[in-house]
Amino acid sequence: MTPVGFAWRSLSREPARAVLGVAGVAIVGALLFDMLLLSRGLLVSFRDLLQATGYDVRVTASPAMPGTGPMLTDPARIIAELRRLPEVGDVRAVRGEAGSAPRGDRWLEVTVLGIGPEPRTEGRLLRGRDLTDAVEPAEVVVNETLARNLGVEPGATLVLRPGRPDARTAVPPRSYRVVGVADFPFDMAGQRTACMSLAALRLGQFGRDADAAEILLVASRPEMGPDAAVAAIRRARPDLHAFTIEEFLQRFRQGDFSYFRQISAVLTLVTSFFAFLLVATLLTVSVNQRLGEVAALRALGFTRRRVAKDLLAECALVVGTGSLLALPLGLVLARVLDDILRGMPGLPERLHFFVLEPWAVGLHLLLLGVAGLLAALWPVAVAVRLPIAATLRREVVS
Amino acid sequence: VTRRPRCLLLTGCLLAAVPLGAEPAMPEVLLSRQLMEDHGLRPGDVVQLSRDGDPARARPFRVAAGYEPTPDPMRFTAKRLEARLHLADMLALSADTRDPQARESVSAINVALNDADAEAVKRFTKDVQARLPNLAVLPTSGGGAADPFVVLERFHVAISVVTILGSTAFLLALMVMRAEERREIAGILRLLGFRRRRILLQVLLEGLLVAALGATFGVAFALLLEDVVNAFFQWRYDTALVFVRVTSEIALRCVAIAAPLGMLAGLVASFTLLRRDVGELVRR
Repeated sequence: MTPVGFAWRSLSREPARAVLGVAGVAIVGALLFDMLLLSRGLLVSFRDLLQATGYDVRVTASPAMPGTGPMLTDPARIIAELRRLPEVGDVRAVRGEAGSAPRGDRWLEVTVLGIGPEPRTEGRLLRGRDLTDAVEPAEVVVNETLARNLGVEPGATLVLRPGRPDARTAVPPRSYRVVGVADFPFDMAGQRTACMSLAALRLGQFGRDADAAEILLVASRPEMGPDAAVAAIRRARPDLHAFTIEEFLQRFRQGDFSYFRQISAVLTLVTSFFAFLLVATLLTVSVNQRLGEVAALRALGFTRRRVAKDLLAECALVVGTGSLLALPLGLVLARVLDDILRGMPGLPERLHFFVLEPWAVGLHLLLLGVAGLLAALWPVAVAVRLPIAATLRREVVS
Repeated sequence: VTRRPRCLLLTGCLLAAVPLGAEPAMPEVLLSRQLMEDHGLRPGDVVQLSRDGDPARARPFRVAAGYEPTPDPMRFTAKRLEARLHLADMLALSADTRDPQARESVSAINVALNDADAEAVKRFTKDVQARLPNLAVLPTSGGGAADPFVVLERFHVAISVVTILGSTAFLLALMVMRAEERREIAGILRLLGFRRRRILLQVLLEGLLVAALGATFGVAFALLLEDVVNAFFQWRYDTALVFVRVTSEIALRCVAIAAPLGMLAGLVASFTLLRRDVGELVRR
């Protein structure tokens, strides 16, 4: 009988113990797997969001994150300058401002995005058409939430005014023609978004600085790449701050996202140790209970190596089955934990904390395998060093 | 001190009644410890501050002192490069010259209530909103379900639940093995006249003891690690924020969860054993 077959028989002789051992490894393994998914999930998800816009370089006025630092003044002149660079394919300016839209006798908060110089929706168009240069009435593309909340569809008129609903403003509300409904990548859960041209944003007096943009999105020429574009922008405009997506992510990695990376590293260590402890305890107790049986097998001619192989196979069956069960269990748990964390305010709705990557599956199996192997060392050592005659005698006498 | 322009968080405070220093000639500024260390600044140094990093619009300020920023869990990952100015100096530095109202504007007014219970906060909010309907009044505590720390707490609770499930499986497996190990002893005790209930009580107490000892060890281990974890994260994020605090409430909750789980594990593990016939238990 092969060691695996022998181990299977040993385990199936004590099904409750085997099932509980496998369940323990599966639960701990699921948590370990989730921590591996969490370690890079935000970065991977955020990179996907940034890449989804089709622009691989960001330009801001300061090293601060967009929305927290000063605005870029006179974006039209900067855009014209950057477009002359051979490394740069396309440039567009984006600015976000707070606005309000009426529903009945209440005003609802709306995030107003201004895109320029060419009016073009930032998101993926779901219905209707894209923005044009029309000024009276100016055009807007709205997101699903706004369309649903205010009951507007392409062709409808939307009234907007600058400022939050509770802000005092003397600026009169203006009417805009809804031309499309789009899915904006950086929308937060429940956020109402209206996207218009920068010119329309200025005309509607959204925000204080009339001629300013928060960020410039730059698409490098494919043959040049983002690094060359960033270098060219830094040479041409040393007063601006240009970043590739990777540099942008690096800043997140060192700042806002590092807490989750570190908590995942700590919990990966803890869960690996827990798995080790679990398997080591179960195998050690199991071997201690079967000392007589092991001694009898040795007396029957089982070599030390064979006994070690049997125990390692038993460990492999428990850890292997538990690890494999941990994968679907971990995915379900990741979904639950992701839903919890995505409840944080200010996060894009499409951002995920847990993202499945092939390396995470491999590392999960490797870590549990190593934990299982280390856990088996002591019980294997006990079993192979067992004095056969003395153990059998003790077994008979007891 | 001439430095490369850096982006700082400027906070204006109404400090007119509390002069920062004696020299009125040059406006004074308080800088965060992190900013002082980052730029090797000392009290008395002169720094240039501008609204947008433009050196042409920069104004000189004398560093009056450094200060430790109040730990802010919302921004603990951010490097606290901050400066505190007199409100008038900050408005002079940052106000939009094209906007006549800019020098008359502040972003927020902090209010400390004498009586800060929830009812008093509610009354104050209602009162202010009735008098100044365009003001938004936000309490600084209890951000509701969307508060990042409520979300983080839910995340940590979810992880704790999974850990408890794993530990329960572990404990159950151990108790099953222990029960099986003592199959013969249980049989002999039954033969000697011990009733099932008596043996069951012993198993329950054993489970309770194992779980309580384990939980106590866990709490002691957490207490030992508390300072290590805090020291590491405080060093890593250069903050005075406390990340881990083992309170007596948490310790009690930990023991209160572990003890019944241990008893339950003992009960489940011994249930099949005690259902068996005495002869079956003592048979070798």
